Amino acid sequence: MMQHHLILRVVVKILAPAIILFGLYVQFHGDYSPGGGFQAGVIIAAAFIIYGIVFGLKQAQQVLPGWVVHKLIALGVLIYAGTGIYSMMAGYTFLDYDGLSPAYPTGGQHNGILLVEFGVGVTVTGAMVTIYYAFAGRPPRISDEEW
Amino acid sequence: MMFAVAAIALFASMILVMIRLFAGPTLYDRVIAVNVFGTYTVLFIGVVGFLAGRPDFLDIALLYAIINFVGTIAVLKYFRYRAIGDLRPLTRKEETGL
Repeated sequence: MMQHHLILRVVVKILAPAIILFGLYVQFHGDYSPGGGFQAGVIIAAAFIIYGIVFGLKQAQQVLPGWVVHKLIALGVLIYAGTGIYSMMAGYTFLDYDGLSPAYPTGGQHNGILLVEFGVGVTVTGAMVTIYYAFAGRPPRISDEEW
Repeated sequence: MMFAVAAIALFASMILVMIRLFAGPTLYDRVIAVNVFGTYTVLFIGVVGFLAGRPDFLDIALLYAIINFVGTIAVLKYFRYRAIGDLRPLTRKEETGL
């Protein structure tokens, strides 16, 4: 549909990896600067959404198929809850990050918050891309004469 | 002082862009007004960040630039092709068979 928008295609091809890189920066630098899992998930999803808008839904789903996105949503929740279950297994309360490394609690807290935010980011990426696929995958029902 | 003057100037420009947004006679005037308003928001966040002594506001400004770009492309594609995905809208004949 958008084959003749050459400038847009080239710009998006250059910009999409940079957007994903910025999302990873927001994800993993979030404890020193503004950021966190939710914001990073939205930014990474924005890269896939702009790719799908410009190159077509079919090509976006070759990069990130629908079943992978559905698995990503569940995987993020699994990482989040798995961190809590692990600290329960280690004898601490649910999501008590000290349980990740009882010998060095500060390091455990650092790794714990990174893991939990990573789970949030994966789930939000999957949810946002799923919303885009759901909206873009159905035919629009408004015909040209009615505008 | 310099950043305060820049912030006031940006704010005045944003009000002018809002006037164009509501008064714009055609759709494309409004789309460009929204896009320019987003650009001014990016600059405003940067200036306010330096005004408050927190340069890490630049991350938020960068995020606004990305979302502004994606949103403008999405709106323009929707109004050009009446679809956000690959599928064209059904004509009345295809939809109702009449």
